[in-house]
Amino acid sequence: MTTDDTALETYLLASMRLAAHADPAPRRLATDAMAALAMRLPGCVVAAPADLAAASGARADGRPQMHRFAAGETTLDVETTVTDGLLEIAGQVSPPPAPSAYVEIRTPHLAKVRVPSSDGQFAVTGLPPGWVSVAYHRPSDPPVVTRWLRVRA
Amino acid sequence: MLFEVHDESIPLDLLDDHAWSELVACFNSRMWAVARAAGLGTADAADAVQGAWLRLVESVDRIRDPQAIGAWLMTTTRREALRLGRKAGQEFPTDPPDLYEHPTFLTPDPTTEIVDADYGRTLWSRVSRLDEPCRTMLRLFALNPDARNAQVAARMQLPVGSVGPTKKRCSAKLRTLLAEDPVEH
Repeated sequence: MTTDDTALETYLLASMRLAAHADPAPRRLATDAMAALAMRLPGCVVAAPADLAAASGARADGRPQMHRFAAGETTLDVETTVTDGLLEIAGQVSPPPAPSAYVEIRTPHLAKVRVPSSDGQFAVTGLPPGWVSVAYHRPSDPPVVTRWLRVRA
Repeated sequence: MLFEVHDESIPLDLLDDHAWSELVACFNSRMWAVARAAGLGTADAADAVQGAWLRLVESVDRIRDPQAIGAWLMTTTRREALRLGRKAGQEFPTDPPDLYEHPTFLTPDPTTEIVDADYGRTLWSRVSRLDEPCRTMLRLFALNPDARNAQVAARMQLPVGSVGPTKKRCSAKLRTLLAEDPVEH
């Protein structure tokens, strides 16, 4: 079976369920979709995973997961851990940040801002698990944002 | 640049709350159906759908054909679902392409237009023309989104190992029927 056949099989099944009202979407799905729009950061530079095999979609399973994102010479290392149902993030931006730079750790429902240390390190706790992205705001350049990463326990 | 939602043209570079809510109203249920049909449970399917919306926010400036934005959303949902399912240890018939390495990342699957309730209603009429066990098997999978092969096997008194191959064969027969007698959409 080719990828196209597999896709078609998925779409056929989806259409049959839509027609039969067999599996309606939960109400919160629309709220989540609307929340995504607020995550738009015009003019930002998207940092792609530098190690795709270890990148987004990983389940933390209580162990730290390392992710590296890069855009040009800027690198963001993001370590994620889910502890007691909450997401913790420790990270580092490089090269070392300018004094007025800051990092915004974003989820669709909650964002926290941290000023990185002089060597670029930052940390945050108490975020809801799920989709997360780090935005690195620099004083004289466009913000760099990581691709969205899903982290679940 | 424009895309079509409910016969209205909306500037893509003006994705305000109204335009976005139109997109959500038009495609969210379809994206959910795609994520679930790709084999995800409800929690992972919700993540896959929200992930696709976030990818749209992330990629909106790079989409080549704004008129295909619905197709792009459903394609991205399916690929995201395959990726999340793979991470969760689910088994899939083929290894899903990486969302970012795949050369067609920004090119939607050509068949997403069939993800539509009207098309689905006609599909049901084609399913009723199938012989057994295909008719019953496809109905069971369509009407029981959380059904797994073992449950379908027990219900139909078939060996568990035969369900996957039979389902593929039945889907192929349905596609043949569709090719012989296409659904208008």
